[in-house]
Amino acid sequence: MIGGLFIYNHKGEVLISRVYRDDIGRNAVDAFRVNVIHARQQVRSPVTNIARTSFFHVKRSNIWLAAVTKQNVNAAMVFEFLYKMCDVMTAYFGKISEENIKNNFVLIYELLDEILDFGYPQNSETGALKTFITQQGIKGQHQTKEEQSQITSQVTGQIGWRREGIKYRRNELFLDVLESVNLLMSPQGQVLSAHVSGRVVMKSYLSGMPECKFGMNDKIVIDKQGKGGASDEAGKSGKQSIAIDDCTFHQCVRLSKFDSERSISFIPPDGEYELMRYRTTKDIILPFRVIPLVREVGRTKLEVKVVIKSNFKPSLLAQKIEVRIPTPLNTSGVQVICMKGKAKYKASENAIVWKIKRMAGMKESQISAEIELLPTNDKKKWARPPISMNFEVPFAPSGLKVRYLKVFESKLNYSDHDVIKWVRYIGRSGIYETRC
Amino acid sequence: MPYLGGEDTVRELRRALSNPNVQSDQLRYRNTILKVIRAMSQGVDVSGLFSDMVKACATVDIVQKKLVYVFLCSYAALNPELSLLVINTLRKDCQDPNPMVRSLALRNMTNLRLPSLMEYVEQPLTAGLRDRAACVRRVAVLGWAKLHNLQPNSEIDAAVVNELYSLLRDPDPVVMVNCLRALEEILKEEGGIAINKPITHHLLNRLKESDVWGQCEVLRILQRYRPQSEDELFDILSLLDASLVSPHPQVMAATLSLFLSLCSGLPAVSLAALERVRGPLLAACGSVSRELRFTALCHIQVSLLLRSLPGLMGAHYKRFFCGYAEPAYIKQRKMQVLVELVNDDNVTMLLDELKGYCTDVNTDTAQAAISAIGRIGRSYSDRCLEILTGLLALKQEHITSAVVQTMRDLVWVCPQCSDTVCLALEGCEETLQDSQGRQALLWLLGVYGEQVSSAPYTLEVFIDGVRSEVSLGVKMELLTTTMRLFLCRPAETQDMLGRLLHYCIEEEPDMCVRDQALLYYRLLHCGIEETQKVLQGRRSDPSLGVLIGRPSEPISQWACSFNTLEPLRQGTVETDSTSRGSPEHVTFEPKPNTDLSDTLNCSQVEKVPSGETGRTPFLARIHTDTHKPLFLASLPFSYPFNKCLCFYMPI
Repeated sequence: MIGGLFIYNHKGEVLISRVYRDDIGRNAVDAFRVNVIHARQQVRSPVTNIARTSFFHVKRSNIWLAAVTKQNVNAAMVFEFLYKMCDVMTAYFGKISEENIKNNFVLIYELLDEILDFGYPQNSETGALKTFITQQGIKGQHQTKEEQSQITSQVTGQIGWRREGIKYRRNELFLDVLESVNLLMSPQGQVLSAHVSGRVVMKSYLSGMPECKFGMNDKIVIDKQGKGGASDEAGKSGKQSIAIDDCTFHQCVRLSKFDSERSISFIPPDGEYELMRYRTTKDIILPFRVIPLVREVGRTKLEVKVVIKSNFKPSLLAQKIEVRIPTPLNTSGVQVICMKGKAKYKASENAIVWKIKRMAGMKESQISAEIELLPTNDKKKWARPPISMNFEVPFAPSGLKVRYLKVFESKLNYSDHDVIKWVRYIGRSGIYETRC
Repeated sequence: MPYLGGEDTVRELRRALSNPNVQSDQLRYRNTILKVIRAMSQGVDVSGLFSDMVKACATVDIVQKKLVYVFLCSYAALNPELSLLVINTLRKDCQDPNPMVRSLALRNMTNLRLPSLMEYVEQPLTAGLRDRAACVRRVAVLGWAKLHNLQPNSEIDAAVVNELYSLLRDPDPVVMVNCLRALEEILKEEGGIAINKPITHHLLNRLKESDVWGQCEVLRILQRYRPQSEDELFDILSLLDASLVSPHPQVMAATLSLFLSLCSGLPAVSLAALERVRGPLLAACGSVSRELRFTALCHIQVSLLLRSLPGLMGAHYKRFFCGYAEPAYIKQRKMQVLVELVNDDNVTMLLDELKGYCTDVNTDTAQAAISAIGRIGRSYSDRCLEILTGLLALKQEHITSAVVQTMRDLVWVCPQCSDTVCLALEGCEETLQDSQGRQALLWLLGVYGEQVSSAPYTLEVFIDGVRSEVSLGVKMELLTTTMRLFLCRPAETQDMLGRLLHYCIEEEPDMCVRDQALLYYRLLHCGIEETQKVLQGRRSDPSLGVLIGRPSEPISQWACSFNTLEPLRQGTVETDSTSRGSPEHVTFEPKPNTDLSDTLNCSQVEKVPSGETGRTPFLARIHTDTHKPLFLASLPFSYPFNKCLCFYMPI
């Protein structure tokens, strides 16, 4: 259980403090500020113990969120709760920043009151919370009889995340497959580790209580179907199916059905939410390959040549490409020549930043730089940080494909065909590093 | 935070609140109250407005009500008498047709935290337990726990307890879980809620209905249950199998913990469960959020690998390679895990990787990497010594210091490395700056003095500079080292030993150093054999053993601390222990107590910034110094140690 929740800005000023249990004294707020936020060195652990009290802290941009407890608790749970708290706040007022928190402090107090009672998590679904929260949704001030009965049915019913009686003129849904590719490659081009963590985000604008079924090219499902009958299809799709290492679903997904048949069926919440989260490690399409060449010419000069190769269909375009080539601390001057895009040496960041707006698949581009170094008597070898890369590509690097999303609503008169469905794939770089 | 102009603000707010024009206009009234709350959260003392706010409480506007309640709950403790006025409004609200209003009133009534109001609260709480809206029941159930918490010594009403037990069968899963939580708190004295077979089965069957937080709670409480037969046990286990591989790390951890406690008598089943969670655990280690990654790493490091199942993660060692941008605390944990995973096949790869971390920008990380290499050196000494010697050539202050300390620890375990170490030591005293590193160097010089040809010259530099030496540890170590060197190379050392003893006894202001010098002086009077007996003790401790081939510990040793804060703390203690004096002390260090109440002690766990040691009060240093008891322990005769403080010795 959580004894209290504090929110600080980067200077350590308390923005929000809510104490749930008496065993947390008022001085706990200051203890955290002094010992963690104002501490001289870096954070040494996300859990800090001060005088028999544990502070679990998470930092979002400039804001510190700290959960305080005196009990011996499940650490994973407290952190998950803090993340959930951040999600809920983001859903209500967007980015977590000092200004947003100051402007919405009443709302936050209200949220804190509903989400936790006596330090125990109660209700953390954004959709279900909306009926309890009065701020911002000013319409909540005079509730009609109808709405009141909805609360009761919602609170007692099984479906806590969707209220009844939602109506749309146009039934529409949007699926976003958002993935981030993480890579660590050795200078020789050997993949040291690579994984994709992805999310399927759905925006649903559907009337009534629709029953949805979501299908993707999950290896286990495809193999099962292949055994069942269509044998030639199995051979064809065998290449295209992907092995998912692990996945998490929104609470609306019936897990029992997933476990038994591996089918994803659910009644979606209204509006935007995250349907699932997954991770794959096998057969990842690495959108870019970085080939570094660093040569030290004497003690005062360094020659760097970096080639990037795009490795996807020529018809697709990657965007917002940025390659960051670190330079030694004693760099005095840099000359850069690049074939495409713009490159600049940023002394404050100790790096050459090379930006390319767009790049098609199966292309190659190159940058070469001469770095002049100041002679130093510092014998410390340059640590050679890895070359990192950022980009955005219009496909899923894990190879995930949405096969179908069927909508059934028995009570209202619209069918699967009437629903307008959209899907888009965005692959972004996570930590995409190549050692040099 | 003092806020300038606070009094003016309060005066202005009071005027606005009591203005009838404002009171009649709902929007203006609400905005004024909003201003009060804003002032409150900025740290202005607005407790003077309490009576005005109590009046504002009587309204039909829910938004206004919520705002006022936020205020009242913060200041009720300061105004118990005035709070009595609110109770009436709150009790009236408990009868409201809107369930939201009812739950709000009930929750705030219990949040006022005033023991004097208890008698007014009990009746609405009892009614709340039977309310038809689940959200009211949720609040009412926890309300009883709050009430009990306010007056922990009061008699518990048996009827309420019974009612709470029966509410375990409530259709709403949150009410059910809240009942568990409330009973757990109310019956704390009796060891918490009684878990019997029907309750267990009921909870297990409804586990899937509750949200993840509820599941964690249920799983934790079920740990107390002991199945009556083996069949029942296996039924429970197969029911829990799905949550064991749950994608939510907190549920997975809670289930594993329950598994381990249920199967405490069946080690084979526990091992199978560990195998099964390998996937989810590894996934948590690669999780996007660094805090969760840290938690998972701590659990892997402290429980699974180190102790019972070294083979569990062996094939996945690459997962624990550090990313460049990861925070230092994750990097250090990953290295500790990597050390445990080393085997003949991956040792080259692992050492290459660790070597890369040694030049990390963060000095803590670099030192952790070096000591990790040292740990691996216990089983693969040649390769590691090669790397360590290579690092000395960098002539970096913090690297050299860490390397010398690591070598000292390595030699203590593997005496066969001493030749290589002694060769490497030449010349590194110039780069060493910090006291830890110099202490390590001195220890090595003392113990292997006859193998290092330049040892007396190095010592001479130290002895010449002893006047300006600030570190107590270095001075103590210097004394011992000079004595040891004197025993093996008397001709070269005699003169400087005399100078050092003279200085320490005559001029040294620190009592500890002076005592030690006096002791050595008298020891020399007893003859060279006696001195040798005392000073030339063990040079190494092979009993600490190499890493490979260690018998695996039974799971039950750590099962009780799994999924608690314990593993997250233990690591901190372990990393801190690298900053100690001589290796002999390792064996004397008490093992970290697994009892939580002790490890919570902030003096042990609280992280002292590394530069802090110089600023600790003088007395504290003497008492924490491990030299004294150790030295006494190795004395062959009983020596009136504490008396020599007032003993005057002519020299």
